[in-house]
Amino acid sequence: MRLILVDRSEEIRRNFYPIALSRPLWELRCGISSLGEKLIAKTDAGDAAYFVPDYMAEAHRAKVMHPVNDLSVLKGDDVLIVDPLVKAQDFNIATGGKSEVGIDQDGRILYARIIKRDLDGTAVNDVAGLLEAARRKFPNVPCTFRRWQYIWELILANPEQLIEDFAAVGRSGIEGTIEKPNVIRGSSKYVYIAPGAVVHPMVTIDTTDGPVYVDEGAEIQPFSRIEGPCYIGRRSVLLGVKCRGGNSIGPLCRVGGELEGSIIHGCSNKYHDGFIGHSYVGEWVNLGALTTNSDLKNDYSIVSVMLDGRRSICTGSQKVGSLIGDHAKTSIGTLLNTGSYLGAMAVIMATGKLLPKFIPSFAWFIEGIVTKGFGKKRLYETAQVVMGRRGCNWTAAEESMWEAVYAMTAEEREKAIKKGRRTLAANKE
Amino acid sequence: MATVEQRVRSITAKVLKLDPSEIRLEDNFTEDLGAESVQSIELVAMFEEEFGIEMDEDAALAVQTVGEAVEFITDVCREQDVNVEQ
Repeated sequence: MRLILVDRSEEIRRNFYPIALSRPLWELRCGISSLGEKLIAKTDAGDAAYFVPDYMAEAHRAKVMHPVNDLSVLKGDDVLIVDPLVKAQDFNIATGGKSEVGIDQDGRILYARIIKRDLDGTAVNDVAGLLEAARRKFPNVPCTFRRWQYIWELILANPEQLIEDFAAVGRSGIEGTIEKPNVIRGSSKYVYIAPGAVVHPMVTIDTTDGPVYVDEGAEIQPFSRIEGPCYIGRRSVLLGVKCRGGNSIGPLCRVGGELEGSIIHGCSNKYHDGFIGHSYVGEWVNLGALTTNSDLKNDYSIVSVMLDGRRSICTGSQKVGSLIGDHAKTSIGTLLNTGSYLGAMAVIMATGKLLPKFIPSFAWFIEGIVTKGFGKKRLYETAQVVMGRRGCNWTAAEESMWEAVYAMTAEEREKAIKKGRRTLAANKE
Repeated sequence: MATVEQRVRSITAKVLKLDPSEIRLEDNFTEDLGAESVQSIELVAMFEEEFGIEMDEDAALAVQTVGEAVEFITDVCREQDVNVEQ
């Protein structure tokens, strides 16, 4: 049985921007692992293949071992095509059995299980066509699996997911090094220190509200307080951090200051003091010293977020911090408002005032306005340097993907730049 | 209507907080007029707003002197069908 994850709808993908601008939806993280890793584990599929938006296919292909946008995977084996936004804990479809299609109450296909023999008799030009053919040809099974709808749901579900993932992984104990003196407050059975991980002296790990998983090669420096539930990724370094409950930190990050209820993808830096709470931070992000976000409004009202720069969407939660896209960079003293959207590749030079809630991708925010700044070429040059420092290459495929993102986000950026110019001109009068 | 040169001088003076009469065509924005990198970006934004044009940021930031800015903006205005006084 081959598991196939399909992410081709721009309308759905928009709800997960800015993080999904540069990756398929199943690479979003919640808890210890990504959504895709959870689905693969749940279905126990022997093989996997992916269908992603064309603009990121080449870049994604270079990162994964499995076929990407390859129609040949739709032949030769039984397939289980799954909506990557289905919550893995709900997904209880057996990999064996007759061909069938699972449909939710809105008529959306959540999965299609098609056995090889049926597949061979179905004309296939693209995966969407196959799904529609399957809907017509095979039994439609009503299903009520929950789906992720918006990116902030991943932030809000992170603590609970961390607890579930820790139980599912089933690891506990100290396989790395804990240097004394240190404190494990709460049960030590909820601590896992992986081989090669080092916990320096004077660190407190508190498991009273959930487990703490420190992955291989991670380093926790003195005066850090790690509250569970928490996951610290491979070779990440925590620098005297106040790590409140509910954080997932990806591999190769550097994190200091105060972090609460947040998800950080790999290779991002929040080295210095400053508070980041209930936020989702992409890859290759650098948050300057004292960068701080609000995650709670003064009147405790529900936080709204703008994903497209035009329309506010109610999150239904009192606590939502910032959404920060890949390669975004903030200067020292940046203040992010509650429910802020900071686009991918955006550069912030703070003025000391709260930022607008929506900063488009590739924007240079300078002197309180969105500008063209030094352009995208300079951003690419910086990305190349940043990635090189971690032994990663800025490839032609990567640049081609970002060119597409630049074009996709042009309208919202140009609108913000024009508004910025008007503001600047008025201020200079 | 003021000429392109007068308008460039006026914007430059506003952004860099100078007297327009002190600004010469041969002045280099950075070396002679003291423009910092952030002010270069402000100048580009202000010229775009003043003339109602869109400038390529790499090309615009490559402009060194006030005289080059006048020429560059005149060319962009011509390309983008914006009427200006020479």
